[in-house]
Amino acid sequence: MFDTVLIANRGEIARRVIRTLHRLGIGSVAVYTPADRHAPFVREAVHTVEIRSYLDIGAVVGACAQWGAQALHPGYGFLSENPALARACADAGVTFIGPPPEAGELMGDKLRAKEAATAAGVPVVPSFTEAEARQATAGDGIYPLLVKAAAGGGGRGMRVVDRPDDLDAALESARREAHAGFGDDRVFIERFLPRARHLEVQVIADAHGNVVHLGERECSLQRRHQKVMEESPSPVVSPQLRATLGAEAVALARASGYVNAGTVEFIADFGDPAHHYFLEMNARLQVEHPVTELVTGLDLVELQLRVAAGERLPVTQDDVSLDGHAIEVRVTAEDAARDFLPAAGRVLSYARPRETADVRVDDGIEPGSVIDTAYDSLLAKIIARGSDRPQALARLDQALADFTVLGVTTTTRYLRGLLADHAVRAGEMDTGLIDRRGVPAGPMDDEGVAVAAAMLILADRVARAHDDPFDRVDGWRLGGVRAPSYWRVSVSGGEPVEVTVPPEYVDMVTALGEGRFAVDGRGEWLLAHDGDAIWIGHGGSAWAVRPAAGGAAADIAADGDVRAPMPGQVLLVHAAAGDRVSAGDPLVVLESMKMELVLTAPVDGEVAELAVAVGDRVVVDQPLARVEAPAA
Amino acid sequence: MNVLRSHANPGSDEFRANLEANTALVEDLNAELERVRQGGGERARERHVSRGKLLPRERVDRLLDPGAPFLECSALAAHGLYDDEAPGAGIITGIGRVSGRECVIVVNDATVKGGTYYPMTVKKHLRAQEIALQNRLPCIYLVDSGGAFLPRQDEVFPDREHFGRIFFNQATMSAQGIPQIASVMGSCTAGGAYVPAMSDETVIVRNQGTIFLGGPPLVKAATGEEVSAEELGGGELHSRTSGVTDHLAADDAHALQIVRDIVATLGARAPLPWERAPVCDPVVDPEQLLGLLPTDLRKPYDAREIIARIVDGSRFHEFKELYGPTLVTGFAHIHGHPVGILANNGILFSESALKGAHFIELCDQRKIPLVFLQNITGFMVGRDYEAGGIAKHGAKMVTAVSTARVPKLTVIVGGSFGAGNYGMCGRAYSPRLMWMWPGARISVMGGEQAATVMTEVGQSETGAQLREQYERQGHPYYATARLWDDGVIDPRDTRDVLGLALSAAGNAPLGDVRYGVFRM
Repeated sequence: MFDTVLIANRGEIARRVIRTLHRLGIGSVAVYTPADRHAPFVREAVHTVEIRSYLDIGAVVGACAQWGAQALHPGYGFLSENPALARACADAGVTFIGPPPEAGELMGDKLRAKEAATAAGVPVVPSFTEAEARQATAGDGIYPLLVKAAAGGGGRGMRVVDRPDDLDAALESARREAHAGFGDDRVFIERFLPRARHLEVQVIADAHGNVVHLGERECSLQRRHQKVMEESPSPVVSPQLRATLGAEAVALARASGYVNAGTVEFIADFGDPAHHYFLEMNARLQVEHPVTELVTGLDLVELQLRVAAGERLPVTQDDVSLDGHAIEVRVTAEDAARDFLPAAGRVLSYARPRETADVRVDDGIEPGSVIDTAYDSLLAKIIARGSDRPQALARLDQALADFTVLGVTTTTRYLRGLLADHAVRAGEMDTGLIDRRGVPAGPMDDEGVAVAAAMLILADRVARAHDDPFDRVDGWRLGGVRAPSYWRVSVSGGEPVEVTVPPEYVDMVTALGEGRFAVDGRGEWLLAHDGDAIWIGHGGSAWAVRPAAGGAAADIAADGDVRAPMPGQVLLVHAAAGDRVSAGDPLVVLESMKMELVLTAPVDGEVAELAVAVGDRVVVDQPLARVEAPAA
Repeated sequence: MNVLRSHANPGSDEFRANLEANTALVEDLNAELERVRQGGGERARERHVSRGKLLPRERVDRLLDPGAPFLECSALAAHGLYDDEAPGAGIITGIGRVSGRECVIVVNDATVKGGTYYPMTVKKHLRAQEIALQNRLPCIYLVDSGGAFLPRQDEVFPDREHFGRIFFNQATMSAQGIPQIASVMGSCTAGGAYVPAMSDETVIVRNQGTIFLGGPPLVKAATGEEVSAEELGGGELHSRTSGVTDHLAADDAHALQIVRDIVATLGARAPLPWERAPVCDPVVDPEQLLGLLPTDLRKPYDAREIIARIVDGSRFHEFKELYGPTLVTGFAHIHGHPVGILANNGILFSESALKGAHFIELCDQRKIPLVFLQNITGFMVGRDYEAGGIAKHGAKMVTAVSTARVPKLTVIVGGSFGAGNYGMCGRAYSPRLMWMWPGARISVMGGEQAATVMTEVGQSETGAQLREQYERQGHPYYATARLWDDGVIDPRDTRDVLGLALSAAGNAPLGDVRYGVFRM
């Protein structure tokens, strides 16, 4: 076994690999870019090397030598499936923890992989040449089609084409994306199953010819081809089908000389998953590998290390059984309410579920972490196991309720909504479900959030106050009465809302310290300051709350009259009566006191009057133009 | 420091009787305050709100920092006056925190006779300004007033302490660096126009606030010119053309936000002239105050029972406990503020007066604010006492009270009669703030004594009449109606009221002490 291993990755996967390394008594080397200098994985590694990019093969392999790492674990993404890395490792005498370059290259090429699958007797999706696709018509069963990048993965370079007319555009954009993403613009065309499940089989092979599969994972819940929730086993895979899928995956691995961990992906018919087709084989550890670990009790990274070190697999197929049910969700820094726009920011506060034998949190963040959009938006994976699927779902939901991040918008709330979806609960999932569902409403409307924020702000103010009698926030008045407080705030960038908070509400909040508050009957809440805004969070949801300016404040300057600020002569006229203008558009240019004054539209609207022409002399305060705002 | 203990017996018949009687007094007080909170009544309020205006108390609530306390002053002003048609004298005044600064807030209640100034309205407005001046608190005027109440022009216009004094105060306070801020949220006619005009910075609400020396009817009568109120003195005119106002607001809420933003530019308050200590509640239950206070003012009780219920941790470092025992003096903290307390435990003798004078000097030297708990029938009389020079000894206490530069706060907890009122910092001695408890009485002497005196000089009929008159005029509502104090308070609120007052008082720096402590 190795005594030092380098991890050519960052974030949660780097931490996860380090965890196994250290458990096995193996030293770790982390490489990191300057932006990640303070990241937890850098701190947790035994040795560290700063590099300029996670894609810099020379620097990554060079770092192995610096600390005597005998092996390199690529994680997922970045260079994990780049054969050049495997070759560079081989050249440097470093063991690459992954398949041999040949097998990796084979699987990295979707077209060749498909051929290999066919040869191994694995069913594949019917594919078409460009010419076939071009000649087909909408009615003859070929459409819809899927255009895929040969070198692709993770949904990049993929396009669904519903009609022949859209084919060329899809090919072009898929090629462009493939070229940008993988430096290889080859694409191919397949039949597209409109309603399909995504099933995949985890395999692990040693260099001695032993190949074992670890059961399937169902990853049908996807958004734009990105997996959102994964589970093992699939609720619809029977033992017979499991055996079939497993045998096919093992056959393919064996036929392609595959060593180490890999995943054979299938799409399956929603109604009858026995109808399934080989999709691709991922020659790396998958993001969603923890669900397999929780039901098999195996540590996949440990198995990877052992087979990479030349050991025989410590388990046979007969040793593998799936105990219970495990489900994972990926919490990402994305704003579900804004079409999953990537979110950025600093983690101001972070509540994390307590980890147990059945609840696992693989995360890469901590308070203070800066999330920028340069890297993958994955913040954490929450995985829960139960003796059956409903129990796993319940535990997962509870874990999500305990996972609250302030400072960066996350998908936690969205994921809780997803877990509550009746189709998800029933296991009736297909790859289009998420896109059909849209984003469910949050647990509270903006008014509710504003009231909660007001309560927490007041409690926080008391907690930070210095006992001055004027610091009290309970609305104290003479005569045994109390006054409410009035708030006008914008919740998560939305339209301002006005709320009145009864004084009694203040009594319901107890400060627990460090931005934590107990609210009577409503559990624990978090609050963090972020400039003039605050974040509050509870039950996996988080909201940025910002004070909003007074009611009609915005239109107070909305006088549509444009007057001459000083006497002068009209130099230019930029608009005419009837023109539609926006506030700030130039209307008239005056020359006055040797200066040119540009007079602009004070409001959006229509020029109702333009009373001057070039050359006119005007006196101070003379009306020049009037813009009328459109009637609301 | 000694922790005071209570000797009250909540199980006793006396305690229960007191509790019942005093609870009734407090309930009556709260009912009166509730009546005042309704301003000019349901219809006037509805009319006010229908114009898109916020009610005056909501203006206060929205102006203050969220949830902040408001130490209202003289809520029962004009009680029983003007046929009771001017609840609160049509104006709300008090101290509250705005954008982190304690400010004096003066708000016209336009639901009460259009916010016009009755004599007591003027007095209450001037008193609020005096509080601002003495404590160096920024002034915020939320103006919504038709100006002087014309039928009583002789009581509001000509004299020194009448309407014109408001603007004199604005100018002189501004000159001393005490900010004057106005928001025009309704009419601001004639003399009233000077409130915003005399302010450092002024806000006006568009299509609602107006400022003019003469309104449209007057203009028409004078010159025949016909002009609308908005054209004559509306927000647009004053913000864009005349420059009388500095900020144009879209509505009340916006105007109040602008005022808050203005206050935020004022910078931090002055540091407290004294050190605050960590706060703890009294260990003796303040709720028991109502069971403790005898309903008969002649019935003595130990003033320490009150002190134990208003000071931090009930801790009291008594001064000269064994000398002049009819005046209890000592050091304590209220809401963390150090205080020197003087409380009557009977009539004032020469010794107690000397002790009081000595103690006041000590506190003044140490920059410790003074709290007077008045329950005093007067100085001792009689040949021996006069021969002992009680007049000059009393004068020492009165001098000390008058000249001490530290803030003085007075609570009349029982009787306030005769020269005892002077020595114990009555209204004439300019305590920064002063309150009465609902069971207290104030007059030059007790009604009983007045009647007896008149009988002694052979006018028994007048005597009987005086007894009734003194009883009526000595009542806290009668007193507070005329601004002889800054409000009648529930005894159980005393600790919080004093704490707020001390924090407010700490805004004003202290001058130099000019003499050492004279040992009396």
